[in-house]
Amino acid sequence: MQKAIGRQKGLSAEKLWKVFGAVLFGYLFLGFMVIPCFNTLISVFSVKDASGKTDPFAVIRFFFSGTMPSFVWNSVKLALCLIVTVNVVGISIVLLTEYFDIKGAKILRLGYMTTLIYSGVALVTGYQFLYDNDGILTSWLAQTFPGMNRQWFSGFYAVLFTMTFACTSNHALFLRNAIRGIDYNTVEAARNLGARPFKVLFKVVMPTLLPTLFSLTVMTFITGLCAMSAPTLLGYDSINPEIVRLAGSSAADESFPQARAALLSVILAMFTIILLTTLNHYERKGHYLSVSKTKQKLQKQKIDNPVYNVLAHIYAYVLFIIYMTPVVMIVVFSFQNWQAIQSKTLSGFTFINYFGTEDYTYTRSNGKQKVVADAISGLFANNKTVGGIRLSFIMSAIAAALTCVIVVLVVNYIFKNKHSKKSRVAEACLLFPWLLPTILICYSYRIYFNDNIWYVFSKNLYYRENVQILIIIAYTVVKLPFALRMIKAAFYAIDDELEDAARNLGASSLVTFLRVKLPIVLPSVLAVFALNFNALFTEYDMGATFQSSHGTTYAMVIQSMTDEEGRNGFNRNATGRRCASTVFIMIVSGIILYLVYGVGARDLAERLALKEKRGRIIARLTGRKPKEEKAA
Amino acid sequence: MIRLDDIVVRFGDFEALHNINVHVKEGEFFTFLGPSGCGKTTTLRTITGFIEPVSGTVKMKGKDITHVPIEKRAIGIVFQSYALFPTMTVHDNIAFGLKIKKLPKQEIENRVQEIARKVELSQEQLKKAVAQLSGGQQQRVAIARALVTEPDIICMDEPLSNLDAKLRVQLRNELKNMQREFGITTIYVTHDQEEALTLSDRIAVFNKGYIEQIGTPNEVYNHSATEFVANFIGDINPIEGDILGKMALNPNQHHFIRLERVTVNHEERPGECRLQGVIESAEYYGLYIKYSIRCMGQRLKVIEKNDGIRIYEAGQEVVVGIAPGDIMSYPV
Repeated sequence: MQKAIGRQKGLSAEKLWKVFGAVLFGYLFLGFMVIPCFNTLISVFSVKDASGKTDPFAVIRFFFSGTMPSFVWNSVKLALCLIVTVNVVGISIVLLTEYFDIKGAKILRLGYMTTLIYSGVALVTGYQFLYDNDGILTSWLAQTFPGMNRQWFSGFYAVLFTMTFACTSNHALFLRNAIRGIDYNTVEAARNLGARPFKVLFKVVMPTLLPTLFSLTVMTFITGLCAMSAPTLLGYDSINPEIVRLAGSSAADESFPQARAALLSVILAMFTIILLTTLNHYERKGHYLSVSKTKQKLQKQKIDNPVYNVLAHIYAYVLFIIYMTPVVMIVVFSFQNWQAIQSKTLSGFTFINYFGTEDYTYTRSNGKQKVVADAISGLFANNKTVGGIRLSFIMSAIAAALTCVIVVLVVNYIFKNKHSKKSRVAEACLLFPWLLPTILICYSYRIYFNDNIWYVFSKNLYYRENVQILIIIAYTVVKLPFALRMIKAAFYAIDDELEDAARNLGASSLVTFLRVKLPIVLPSVLAVFALNFNALFTEYDMGATFQSSHGTTYAMVIQSMTDEEGRNGFNRNATGRRCASTVFIMIVSGIILYLVYGVGARDLAERLALKEKRGRIIARLTGRKPKEEKAA
Repeated sequence: MIRLDDIVVRFGDFEALHNINVHVKEGEFFTFLGPSGCGKTTTLRTITGFIEPVSGTVKMKGKDITHVPIEKRAIGIVFQSYALFPTMTVHDNIAFGLKIKKLPKQEIENRVQEIARKVELSQEQLKKAVAQLSGGQQQRVAIARALVTEPDIICMDEPLSNLDAKLRVQLRNELKNMQREFGITTIYVTHDQEEALTLSDRIAVFNKGYIEQIGTPNEVYNHSATEFVANFIGDINPIEGDILGKMALNPNQHHFIRLERVTVNHEERPGECRLQGVIESAEYYGLYIKYSIRCMGQRLKVIEKNDGIRIYEAGQEVVVGIAPGDIMSYPV
C-alpha cells in the first residue's frame, strides 16, 4: 500500500527491463505452454473423414466403439489399487519407524528410504533384475520349483508391486514430518484418559495426519494414472505407454493415431485438473495445527501385546527385505562379471561393469573361434552409456538452472508486488504446468514443434539435434510448479525490513537482490536445483515420449541396455552395466540429497561453528595454533 | 535539525497523516508515542524516505529532503526486527553500508572496529553470525550498523518490542547512554508509554493520524493537553457521579485524576476533598500496592507506596483525599 519513492536515476531503464521481462514471460508462457497444448486439444476435434471433411466427434465415437476405454480403465484401476497399497505400506513404514518401538528402527528406516535414491526406470529395472523371467529370484525359485511360471512378474500385479514400493518415498518424507509434528502431550493426555495405544493411534494420531494423507493419496492417484516406466517395462496397457505408441504411429497403420493420442492426453489432463482442484480446495480449508505452546517430542510407543509386537516386527522386517533385496543384489552383482550374472552365482570381484573394456571370444557354429573387440565394456567406457549420461547431465543441468532462474526472478517480482493482479497472473502462469500431465506437455511439443514454427525462428524443434532444445524446454516447464512452491516458501523467510535496511544503507535494487535477498534464499534455490537435476537426470517419461535418436537420455539407455545383450557376441555385460548404472544413480542421488538436506540446510552460524571446529582439528594435527588464538 | 511541515500521507482513499508538524532539535531524543495504527511509524517512514507524502515538506538542517532518495538522506535506521542480514557475519553487517559507499578497505575496517568498540562488541562477536548473538547484542549490531555511516540522525522503530520485559528495561538504559555518548539526534517510535517517558527529551503523542501533544515527559504526563493523552499515558481515574458534585466540578467537562495523586488515610492537605471509602481489593506489587476503593458509589484506583506499615485489607474503611489541583479537566 505504501507508495515508496523509486530511485530517481535509472527509473526508465528499470521500466524498460520490466517491459522486456513481461514480453519475454508472455512469449514463453504462450509459446511453450498455451499454444502447443491448445493445438493438442484442437487436434482432437479436427479429424478429417475419408472425404476430407472435418468430423469433430470422430475420435470420440472411435473411443467409445473401440478398445481405448480399456487403457483408461487400466490406468484408473492401477491408480485406485495404488492408493490402497501405497497408503498401507507408506503408513506402516512411517508408523514402524517413527511411532512404534520396533527394534532396529534406524536400520529399517534406511532400508525404507532407499527409494529416495533410486526411482523410475532404475528402480523398475532393479526389480526386473530380481523378479523377471531371467531374474535372480525367479531363477532361484525355478531351481526349487521347476514347474513354476517364469513369466510371473509381468502385467498388472508386477506394476502394482513395483510402484507400491516406488511410491512410498513421499510418505517417507512428508508423513514422517507430519508424525514428528504431533505433540506428545496429546498422546499422554489420551492415555491418561484411559485410551489404549491403538485407540490413541486411531483417535488422536491418525486424525492429525489426515490432511497429509489426503494430499499423499491424491498425488499417488495421479502418479498411478500417469505411470509410464513400470507399465512400459513390465507390460501393462495403460494410458501413457499407449500415448507414446500412438505418437510414434502413422495414419497408414491405424485410424487417426495422433488424434487418439491427443484425446488420451486430454482425458488424463481432465483427471489431473479435477484431482488437483479438489486437493487445492481441501488444502485451503487448512490443516490441523498443534495449539500447544510447549510441544513435547513424540516418544515411541511400546506394543504391549506380545503377539502383536512379534507380528509387527515380522512385518517390519519383511518390508525391509523387500526394499533392500533389489538394492543389495544390484550393488553386489554390479561387481560381478557377465558369467556370474548369467549363472546367478557369485564369483570374483570386478570393476569391469564400471571401467574399462574387454574382448569376448566365443566359438561359432562352424567351430571357429571369434573374438569380438570391446564386447564387454564398463559404464564409463561404453560410448552409448557415456553419451546418455553426458546428454542427460547437460540437459538436466541446463533445465534445472533455467527453472531456478525463471522462478527466482518471477518470485522476486511477486514479492515486490504482493497485492497486484500482475503478480497473481505471473504466479498462475508458473503453476499452469502443474495442471497438465507431463505426457500432455511432451506429446504436444512433439507434435506441434515437429514443423517449422514461426515464433521459434521458423525451426523444426523435433528435427535431429533440435530435439535436445525441446527436451530442455519440456524439462524446464514441467519443473516450474515444484520450483515455484519451494522457492516461494523460501522468499517468505525474507523480512521486509531487510530490504528497507539495505536501501537505507544505499544499496540499489540489484545489489539488494544479489547481496541480501539471494544469499537468504540461495540454499533453497540450490536445493531445488539439485532435486530437479536429480529427478531429470534419470527421467524416463519425457525421454520416452520424445523418442528420438538425437535425444536418447540416460534412462532410455538404461532401458535399452539389455535389449541386444550377447547377440552375435556384442554387448556381453549389458546386465552388469545396468546394475552399475543403478549404483551410479544411487551414488549421484545420495550425494545430492546429502548436499541438499545435510550441507545445504546449515545456516551461517552452523557453517562458522564447523569452520572453527575444522580449524581446531587442523591445528591439533599440525601442532599450530588456530588463527583466532594467534590473533588474540 | 529535522522539520516536518504540514505533512499529509494517503494510502488510496485513507488519509494516514493529517497535517503533521514536528520540529526535532539537534541532539534531541525525540519520541513518537501512540497506539497501533496512529501514524507514528508512517511519520517515521516519511522522514526516512520510504513513504512519499501527498503534501508538506520534510526538511533536514533547513534543506528540503522530501523527494531525496532514501540512501541520500543521511538517516540511520534501527528497525523493529533489527533487519540484520542473516547470511552475513556481524562484521559484514556493520560494514555493508560502507562497502556500498565504496570506501577504501582500510577505512572500512577502521570504522567498523571503532564503532564496535563504542557499542562494546568484541572481536569474537564480530566474527559471529548474527543468529549466534543474544537479543541485546543484536540490538548493538543494529545500532552500530546504523551509526557507522555517520548519519545526521538515527531513527528507531520500536527496537525493544521483541524483547522480554527484563531485557527491555536493561537495553533501554543502554540505549539512552549510547545516545548521550554519541550525541546524535534520535527519533524513536514506541507504543510503550514507560519507554517514552524514561528515554525521551520530548514526546509527540499521536492519535488517528494527528499529533495530540508535543512536550517533555513531565508536560505530557502532568499537564496532558487532551483527554486522549491523559488516558494514554499512565493510569487515571475518571471523576464522576456524586464526587463531581461534592468537589463542585463543572459537569460539562470530563475530569480525571492520576492514581498516585489520590491519598489514603493521609494527613489532610489544604483545600483537599476528603471522602469515606471501603477497600474492595488490594494488589501487591512489592514496591507499591494498588487498591480498589469504593467511594460514593464510584470505584477509585489508588497507588500507595509500600512502606510496610500502612497496608490495608479488603473491607477496611479508609479516608480518601483528592486535591482539586490534581484534577485534569477536558471539554466534552
